[in-house]
Amino acid sequence: MMAAAFALLSFLTPSSAAQAPAAGQAGAGGQSGRGSLAAAHQPTPRLPDGTPNLGRVPGEKGVWDVWWVRNMADRIVGAAGGGDSTRGEAPVDLGSSDTSVRGGARSEPHVPFMPWSAAVYDYNSANVSKYDPEGYCLPPGGPRLMATPYPMEIIQLPEQKRIIMIFEGGTHVWREIYMDGRPHPQGDALNPTYLGHSVGRWEGDTLVVDVVGFNEESWIDYFGHPHTDMLHVVEKFSRPNKNTLHYEATIDDPGAYTKPWTVSWNINWSPNGELTEYICQENNRYLLRLRDDFGQPVFGNR
Amino acid sequence: MRTKLAVVVAGIEVLLAAGPVVAHHSFAAEFDAAKPVKLTGVVTKVEWKNPHTWFYIDVTDEAGKVTNWGLEMGSPNGLMRAGWTRNSMKIGDSVTVEASRAKDGSNNANAKAVILNSTGQRLFAASSGPLQ
Repeated sequence: MMAAAFALLSFLTPSSAAQAPAAGQAGAGGQSGRGSLAAAHQPTPRLPDGTPNLGRVPGEKGVWDVWWVRNMADRIVGAAGGGDSTRGEAPVDLGSSDTSVRGGARSEPHVPFMPWSAAVYDYNSANVSKYDPEGYCLPPGGPRLMATPYPMEIIQLPEQKRIIMIFEGGTHVWREIYMDGRPHPQGDALNPTYLGHSVGRWEGDTLVVDVVGFNEESWIDYFGHPHTDMLHVVEKFSRPNKNTLHYEATIDDPGAYTKPWTVSWNINWSPNGELTEYICQENNRYLLRLRDDFGQPVFGNR
Repeated sequence: MRTKLAVVVAGIEVLLAAGPVVAHHSFAAEFDAAKPVKLTGVVTKVEWKNPHTWFYIDVTDEAGKVTNWGLEMGSPNGLMRAGWTRNSMKIGDSVTVEASRAKDGSNNANAKAVILNSTGQRLFAASSGPLQ
């Protein structure tokens, strides 16, 4: 019913049709390739030793076309309507305003909130993510790195026993995944950071990354699911064909959720894409205008 | 040449086209998708910067009063992928902008599309979100 209504309204909307040429121009600009059928039928690229290649084939361009996963509760594996890999294609946002889809913790019975995390989530829902750290140009941590809509690349360095991931968005950050079998640092040697400490291993054709050591400055997603520094994330990266990166993350935070929950989505390969510069901190006027709940500036002179 | 404030449209047509795809900060914290505005004016300033390009236009109403509007778009990297260059829109150009007004009632708005009136070219103005 809803879909039919949207389809009808889209049909009646001249400006929707007028956007189509703009999308075409984006493709001509060299950054298209989302959903390329040709690439979908190409096999998983591999390194000389047979390991899946999660990055570029030598001599070719290409980036992972990360799309905006705003609410990870919509991507929970095993929950009704969530986690289905066929939903990994970038959705077309028909222009719903944020407020129309923010039901808070009550609308997400499949997220194992604790009372305090439900309350924080309700607050972030009610103010439509006004205080999102990414809006301050602070980096995402954990799964949100793969949910912030700017391209990224995975660069495997097997001879160095590490993997580098570089992100155009999310404040232009990179992460390093140690593949040399080291454990996480223990005790105070583990310094809490935005991106945490990542160690990886291959399980068959799946890269499994174990991450701990997060600080509490980031949100799990744009919608504002909170986490604590007890957060432990296990990520799984696989490339079932050349065009598709399948991403899965188990969010285990005994400080905020009563049990682990797992989210997943697919990301498409953009075969002509390359990373460009994005320095979020340059001219962030949002910070200058941001007022707290009492009308005072959040940053700057008080 | 000063052009006229065209129309302030408040209809479902524009509402539907108003995809808040600003990925950097909360769209709804600052702008109202239910307050669409269509402005025609002359560019007075362009800030081609991260995380959002802002540009300013002088809009002249039917009484001859000139109002300067500030309009937010995507970041330069996102705009480049949508077909823009830093010289697509220059000071003095006449443009028509489809936008969503700021919630605070100021003369700021989030642009969805910009029509370059000299050529009729329509450029998508959002940052790198799902619509791109």
